[in-house]
This record gives sequence, structure tokens and C-alpha cells, in this order.
Amino acid sequence: MPDNRTEIEQKKQVARGGRLKLFNSQTSYLILVIIAVSIVASILNSRFLSARNIFNITQQISVLGILTMCMALLMISGHLDISIGNMAGLVGMIFTRMVLTGYSQGLAVITVLALSTILGLINGIIITKSRTTPLIITLGMMYVYYGIALIISQGRPHSLGGRFEILGRAKIGPIPLTIIIFLLIFAFAYLLRKYTTYGRRINAIGGNKEAAFLSGINVDLHVTTLYAMSGLIVGLGGLVLASRLGMVRADSGTGYELQALAATIIGGITFEGGKGSLVGALLGVLLLGIMYNAMNIVGVSSYMQTIFLGAVIVAATVISNIGKMKKK
Amino acid sequence: MKNAIIRAVNIEKEFPGVRALSEFDFELFPREVHGLIGENGAGKSTFIKILSGVYSPNSGEIFINGQKYDSLSTQLVKNLGIQTVYQDEILVPHISAAENIFLGSQFLRKKILMNYKTVIERSEVLAKRYGIDLEVREIYENLNPADQQFTKILKTLAQSPQVLILDEPTQVFNVTDTDIVLAIIRKIVEDGVSVIYIAHDLDEILEVADRVTVLRDGVRIVTHDKTKETLDANLLAREMVGRAVELFYKKKKHSIGETVLEVQGLKLKPDSKEINFDVKKGEILGIAGLKGSGRSAIARAIFGATEKFAGRLSYKGADITPRNPIEAVKNGIAYLTEDKKTDGLFLNMPVYQNITIVGLNSIHRFFVKMRREKELAREFVDRMKIKTANLDQEVQFLSGGNQQKAVLAKWLFHGVNILIVDEPTHGIDVNAKTEVYELFTELAATGKSIIMISSEMPEIISISDRVIVIRNFEITRELSGNDITEEHILAGYLGAEKSA
Repeated sequence: MPDNRTEIEQKKQVARGGRLKLFNSQTSYLILVIIAVSIVASILNSRFLSARNIFNITQQISVLGILTMCMALLMISGHLDISIGNMAGLVGMIFTRMVLTGYSQGLAVITVLALSTILGLINGIIITKSRTTPLIITLGMMYVYYGIALIISQGRPHSLGGRFEILGRAKIGPIPLTIIIFLLIFAFAYLLRKYTTYGRRINAIGGNKEAAFLSGINVDLHVTTLYAMSGLIVGLGGLVLASRLGMVRADSGTGYELQALAATIIGGITFEGGKGSLVGALLGVLLLGIMYNAMNIVGVSSYMQTIFLGAVIVAATVISNIGKMKKK
Repeated sequence: MKNAIIRAVNIEKEFPGVRALSEFDFELFPREVHGLIGENGAGKSTFIKILSGVYSPNSGEIFINGQKYDSLSTQLVKNLGIQTVYQDEILVPHISAAENIFLGSQFLRKKILMNYKTVIERSEVLAKRYGIDLEVREIYENLNPADQQFTKILKTLAQSPQVLILDEPTQVFNVTDTDIVLAIIRKIVEDGVSVIYIAHDLDEILEVADRVTVLRDGVRIVTHDKTKETLDANLLAREMVGRAVELFYKKKKHSIGETVLEVQGLKLKPDSKEINFDVKKGEILGIAGLKGSGRSAIARAIFGATEKFAGRLSYKGADITPRNPIEAVKNGIAYLTEDKKTDGLFLNMPVYQNITIVGLNSIHRFFVKMRREKELAREFVDRMKIKTANLDQEVQFLSGGNQQKAVLAKWLFHGVNILIVDEPTHGIDVNAKTEVYELFTELAATGKSIIMISSEMPEIISISDRVIVIRNFEITRELSGNDITEEHILAGYLGAEKSA
């Protein structure tokens, strides 16, 4: 009997090894694609690998990267929020109007961060209390935020007039401040998920909500606070957005939510919840950023770019599911 | 020798790390009921899935009506007239039973519009023909589990099959309904249909099957022919397990203490009678009841997971009526649900994280101390003999019995006083069952109280110190000591009006 048992365990080990490899290949495959895209782009245009362009890429991905971390955490918990793009736009707009009205930048920063946390909290409360699906609720909120931004902006773009450039343009040594903010948020999300009891419970809720509830986990509290935290991070994203653009419109954030969703899925986090890695989501952001930049540099039209983005999302989702497609 | 309808020769099927079937031969003759028995994981379901075209075998040949096939597809199987009623198949919940019965059937395929009246009429005729009393207009999800099962069976019969495969069809049934199923089987065999019948209940198999094939570890042990030999349940059980088995577990006695948990005035429906019972320290209280009798609803209500109309819960005299599971867990109540996969485990999380999830706060403050956590989880894996490759193994790769132990470990890790277990050995094999029983007895001996809900008679009778029988959300019997017998429990199932 003991022999038999070790044999079974060995077999299981083999089965498990196979699975782990698959998971690793998901992230290593992303790295390979990123390298491949970079090589092709640098052959087509040597400017791609210049220090200036790499600096540009990191600048360009920071807002998307920050919003992607929100989306990734929410999806790991089995939820999502597609209002984050317009929420960031609204935050940027309110901040700009406050600064233009004469409030101090510090006060404006604190106000909009508090506000975005409350907006996230509202999303969380509606979703947990009404037991409705996050997709529809946040879709509705997406329009609500856009409408508020339109009213506040009176439909016009507003320029910060060179104020508040520090966040978007400053560097620490050679590294832009925005990318540091992004990486700090990534590190925060990564540690939260992997090394805290809060993260463990979020993961469990995403993995099996009913089991989490029956294990005595306060599901509603965790989900609501996660939305609120996501709101706070979106607030930071909105500030980076405003600072980088210097000129904010009501729709400045529109579209980021779908790109963030795309980056998350490319990174291997699925709608099932409870699994996937934040490193994957980070690589997803990097891949999207590099692809956009490369297409710009090579001179692909913006229409074609849109098609490419769609194709990449489809391809990534299909590839991540190849294991399940095979007949048993 | 008659010609076999289905002949499977030398079937091999391997999954990563497991050989599910090897050198498996099987024959099904016309008008035969062929029983297939074996422990969980013996390969019964794998074989059925090969026959219904869900899996393809690694090697081997299948002959159907003399025609040779290397592998089958679901469509091919359907065209050949082989129909399967799966254990956990789900029909379309929001349409009527009648529409489900004829969904995808021949006579509707060529039509664009469905004539609702014809569908109803045909379903009624079909149900009547097999002696089933089914309200075919009722929406499927509103039917009770037994009628849902009848709907599934009728759905397959509506296709006029040549071969019918039934995978544990009577699991959800009470005695009367089981008899109806056995009658249906006899009737369709008369009509010329052949049946493959899988069941855990050996008496049922003995009653209905003409031949019985015993499977163990993916290998065919023997095929009995009932016309040529006399069979009994003990022989079959021995062949299934590979050694002599005690069908009844012998429990060690220990002393039982004072009353700890009291359930007072519990009402699950506004018009049902009050439910009152208590549990003592170190006691195993059995709750016997059929599916749909309200036994799980009682457990969920005690655990604060369902709305209740009235009722209080007290522990050692103090009111602890929980409004939700969070409060129940705080008060040391644990609930092991009937379906561990859907609501007990986090399937894609590692074993150790499943074990520690409830008790996280006892080892960590906010930051996780991974090494310490694994050490503690390791103790439980060893103590409860959970067979796993390592602690990082995702819990979905564990066998049913080990998954059940993992759920139990999840609660014991946190530390509990009252353990409510719902069908604790459902779907796990004989060996794992004994291990679970040993764990329960051990826990009770250390002063924990266990409320065990079960529909398995041997389990209720051999494990419980005291039994309450539930029927239609009411307690119909309370039994203890030598009064805990099959007759008394059955009497309780049938109703309060018949006094024992």
C-alpha cells in the first residue's frame, strides 16, 4: 500500500508539473512576444530603441498601468469596474477646474482623491447591496461620470496652463516620476494580493464566492472596500492623466477601461476570478504600450491600430484557453 | 450466443497520472439490464463517458450493432440510439418539463415553430405510459428533485432509444420513487431496450440487473450472470473493495456531557411547526431525512446562511442566534455543506490556503507569514492523512475523499465547538468513509458536538448517539440507543401520523 501511494503522488506531481509549466509559459510567452515586437519595431525604425522613445513609452503606459492594477485586483475578486476610465477623466476635470478657480493644488489633490474613493465606494455598495452584476452597474456609472464631467467642463477643454506639470513631467534621475508611481502601485497591489490576509480573502471570494460566504468571510465588506481602494487608485491615475495632458476634456479618460480590461486579460487573469498574476497584467500593459508606440513610430494609421488592439485581445484570450480546447 | 448490441474490447483510457480504465471488456445484450458497480474512481463514469462519446479511449475497439468504431462522438452515439441520463445533468431551468422532454427531439427538429399543445400532450402520454405522475406544464426548476429526475428520464425515453444508460438514477429518490424507476426499467426492457445501470445501492442492482460487472481501479474484476448464480450484496461489496468490508462502522463509545447547543422555535416556513432540539457535549446527533425534507435548510438556518421565520439558538445558555455565517463562525459553529466542490472549497487555490482560510486571523495579523502558515497546515495534512503531492497542490486535484478531509481541516484549523456536516460521505468511497467516521468519533471524544445530516441509513444508525427524523420541515421522531433502527427511521420518513 505505501508503495502504491507514493506512486500515485509521483503521478500527481507529474500532472501538477505540467500545469505549472503551462502557467509559466503564459508569462514567459508574453515576454517573448514583447521582445519580438520590439525587435521588429527597431528593425523597421531604429528610433524605437532610442532613450527618448523608451522614455516616451514608459510615460505613455503609466495611466493605463495604474488603471489596469485596479481592474486586475477587481477581476481576481470576481468583479470588474468599467467606469474607471471616465472616473479618471472626471477626477482630472474636477482637479483642473479647482486649480483654475484658484484653490491650492494641495487642496485640490486631497479633494479629488477623497472624491474618487467615495465614487469607488458607491460602486461597491450598489453592487454588494443590490446583488447585481458589476458589468451593468459600472456601465451605468460610466455614463453618469461622463455626464458630470460634461456639466463641469461645460463641454469645453480646460488647460491647466502649465501648472501641476510636476507629476507628469518630473524625473528622478533618468526615471520619470509617473512610471515610479505606476510601479509603486503595482508593488502595492502585488504585496496586498500575495502577502496579506485581505488579499487572500479577496482571492478566495473570486475563486468561490459561496464558499467564501459559508466560510464566514465578510464578502460584502471586502468587495466594497476593494472598490473604494480601486477608486482611490483611479484618483491617482486621473491626476497623472491631467498632469500629463495639461489640457483636460470630459472624455479624456474614456476608453482606458477597455484597454485596462484588455491588458488584464492578456496578462492571464480571467473572468472566473481567483487566479492569474499581477505580473502578467503588468506585462499586458507593457505589451499594449509597446505595440501602440511601435505602430506609431512605424507609421501604422490609427484606424489600423484599433484593429490590431482588437486582434491582440482575441488572440491572447484564445491562446490562454488552448489547454481547455483540446478534447479530453 | 446472442449478438451483443454493444461490445467493448480492450479499452484503455489514461488521464494525466491516472489510468482510469485498462484492458476493459464489456458486452451488452439485447433486452438486458447490465449493472455496473465499483467504488468512486473505479472507472464506471469514464466508461460511460466513452460510450456516450464524451471521452475518446486511448486504445481499444467498440462494436455497436456489429459495426466497429475506434472512438465515438456525442452526435454519432445519439444517431445510434444510445441515450444517457447523467447523475448531475442539468436541464433548462426556466421552461416547462414538457418542453425539456422534447427539446432537440426528432419531431421538433424540422419545425420552426413549436406547437406547445402538442408538446404537452405528447409528454403526458409518455409519462402515463411509464406510470409517472408528473405535472408536465410545471416550470422545470420548480419541480422537486425527484420529478426533475423523472423529467430527465422521460427526455431520454422520448428519443426511443435502443440503449439507455442510467448513472445513479435513484440517488435523489425515496423508496416509492425508486420502485417506479425499477418498474420503468422493466417496462422498457419489455419494449426491447437494453439498459446499463450504475448504482451504489447494491440491493437495487441485485433487484433489477440481469448481469453485474464489478470494476475496481479501472479493471474488470468479474461479470456475474444472475440467471446462473445466486448473488448477494456482501459478495459484491467484497469484490468492489477487494477485501471483506464492514458495511456498518463500529463506533467506540465515550461519555456524553451536558447540553451545549439549543435550537428553540425554529420555523423555516411561516406555517410550519416549530423545530426544537438540543445537542450535548461530545454527542453526535444524526438528522435523518430525505432530500427536500428540509434537513439542509435547518443546517443553513442554524448557521445563519438562510432566512428563517422564527427561532433562537443558544450556546451554553447564552443567545447566539447568528444573522449570518460570520457570526456563526465567531461563535464556533462550522458547516460542512453537502456539495463540497461548489460551496466548500476554493478549487484553484492550494491545499494549504484552503485549510487556513477560515482561521487566517489566528496565525496572521495583516501580513501573511507564509512559512508559519505552511507548517501549521502541514500538521493537519499529516494528522488527517490528506493525500496530496504537496501543500501547494491545487485542491481540485485531490480525490473526493481527500477533498472532504480538506474541508474538515479548514474548520478544525480554525477551531470549532459545533460541527454541522451535511451528507459527509456523499460520493466518497468505502475506505475514505471509514476514515471520516473515525475523525468524527475522535472529535466527539474530545468534546466537540457534531450534527450529522445524512440520508444513508447505515451511516446514521452506526455513527449517531441520537437521531431526529425530519419530514416536511418538521421533526417526526426522536430516537436514541436501541431505538435507532431502520424501521423507526423509515416510519419517521413516512410521517408523523403513524406512531411507531
